[in-house]
Amino acid sequence: MIGEVDIYGVLFPPLLIWIGIALLISAVLRRGLAALGLYRFIWHRPLFDLCLLVMLTGLVNFLANHYF
Amino acid sequence: MKPASFIYRFLVTLAAVALASVIGWQLWVYYMESPWTRDGRVRADVVSLAPDVTGPVVQVFVHDNETVQTGEPLFQIDPARFTLALAQAKAALAQAEATVAKAHATMLNAQSNAQRYAALSNNAASAVSRDDATTTAREAQASYAAAQASLAAAQADLGVAELNLDRTTVRATVNGNVTNFSMKPGDYVAAGTPVIAIVDTDSLYVDGYLEETKLRNINVGDKATVELMQGGPPIQGHVAGIAAGIADSERIATSTLLADVNPTFTWVRLAARIPVRIALDKVPEGEKLVAGMTCTVSIQPGPRQNATAATADASP
Repeated sequence: MIGEVDIYGVLFPPLLIWIGIALLISAVLRRGLAALGLYRFIWHRPLFDLCLLVMLTGLVNFLANHYF
Repeated sequence: MKPASFIYRFLVTLAAVALASVIGWQLWVYYMESPWTRDGRVRADVVSLAPDVTGPVVQVFVHDNETVQTGEPLFQIDPARFTLALAQAKAALAQAEATVAKAHATMLNAQSNAQRYAALSNNAASAVSRDDATTTAREAQASYAAAQASLAAAQADLGVAELNLDRTTVRATVNGNVTNFSMKPGDYVAAGTPVIAIVDTDSLYVDGYLEETKLRNINVGDKATVELMQGGPPIQGHVAGIAAGIADSERIATSTLLADVNPTFTWVRLAARIPVRIALDKVPEGEKLVAGMTCTVSIQPGPRQNATAATADASP
């Protein structure tokens, strides 16, 4: 789906919303990873976090386009 | 907890970077290079209907937003003047007919006179009078021809008068919807001045304004999907044509015939948007298309495509 997201009359490209969702998921995921101590397998944490966000954005975008 | 070995940590991070790069690139291709645009418009041909004769409106048969069929009367201009003109033309025709009859009689008389003179002996009629009679006969014949021409003109005038009377009723020329219409009996309309707009509902199409950077992947005949901003099921269509030209906004028309080019050139440039016309193959039942609606147009490039388009197709 390539549509519009309507927020009270202002229409946004959906990518903006997908990034927002990905940001939320990544925040939760980062906390989870930190709690589990999985960051000890990571060399450069901020770089990994950025990659995580990009991957999640891709995933949310893929799911949204196929199932929404 | 003790961190894992450096090589291990580095490789995990590197894998993440690699995966993110691929996904990011796919996203980029999908949003930037695949031929779709949110800048689409539903369009239709609009007929600006003007009356063919001038006069006050006496009757309006349609109201705003009414659906009309080809040939349906829309409004009526006061026919009184044109009825009178028709009567006048009929009278002129009768007069012309009478003139023809008169000219005919004169011609016959002159011809028999000429024949009589020709039959007389040289003693009974002089050569002068014989020539005179012949001339008169020829003149009468010419008058008769002129009268017949006048008759033809009068018949044509009658036709014009009938046409004008007929044109006092203004009819729809297409199937469509009357739009933005406010006419009341008494309004004075002038011939040639448009007074009523009919949106031709048979001609509805979509114009997708695609960036010039995306045109490479688009060919006439490619499948296209149109999604209206209002939602609803997607509408299938195909590319009917690509505009051959758009106005150059950097250049201003001048009265001196010389080009006036805008000297400020922006460092950040925007791709020009080219109208790509999408013919709608099948509009779903109950879908109400209004000319001017915004829609999203995505084009599925056909078999003849380059590598970029193929990547774009494979992306989410």
